[in-house]
Amino acid sequence: MADEKVLRIPAKLEGMDEVLDFVSSLVDAHGCTPQARSQLRMAMEELYVNIAHYAYPDGEGWAEIRGSVEDGVVTFTLIDGGTPFDPLAKPDPDILLSGEERRIGGLGIYMVKSMVDEVEYTYLDGCNRLTLKKQL
Amino acid sequence: MKLNTEKNSNEMTVKLSGELNTLTAPELSALLDKELGGVQKLTLDFAECDYVSSAGLRVLLATFKQLKASGGSMILSNVGENFMDVLSNTGLDAVFDMQ
Repeated sequence: MADEKVLRIPAKLEGMDEVLDFVSSLVDAHGCTPQARSQLRMAMEELYVNIAHYAYPDGEGWAEIRGSVEDGVVTFTLIDGGTPFDPLAKPDPDILLSGEERRIGGLGIYMVKSMVDEVEYTYLDGCNRLTLKKQL
Repeated sequence: MKLNTEKNSNEMTVKLSGELNTLTAPELSALLDKELGGVQKLTLDFAECDYVSSAGLRVLLATFKQLKASGGSMILSNVGENFMDVLSNTGLDAVFDMQ
């Protein structure tokens, strides 16, 4: 098992930079391409911001990010103890619509799916868990 | 994020520097809310900004719609490789004008 790094913070928007620094420092230590780093930061931004915005509608909560690299593949897991919610269940937006017809929003999760190799949601032991994998 | 604005009658250029993400997109949105009145041609220069997340795309799409509705136009210039990836993944490369 590869060394796992863990970051546990209050699930607040202000923590986003800390999450993205955590992502960059883990992947940079494993010779990541600038493109893969940018895609991973973006995917983690979308998923973390979702937690900060929606996981705890009635108050404050926590978020935990676990990251590891094995055989050139990075795995990040985002965990929260908030409302059960599978963001991947939402239908993909229609990306062929014209600018005027486009809805403003709804692109975040679609971007995550297109920027990583695998993304999976599970609800386990009272926690939401989103796991993503990407070749560095 | 740093935003540099140049205005010349009804044309405006905004040069973005840094990451256009969830935390910084409201800065661009606020600047455009304040400055966009009367502008017919808006150029957003991404030479020093190659990270645009969905929060940034939302501001761009809202601005694009606003300008279109008043007969104006929005141009994205100096789009870098990572930003271009995001635009093509979301189909917005076919929506926005680029130079």
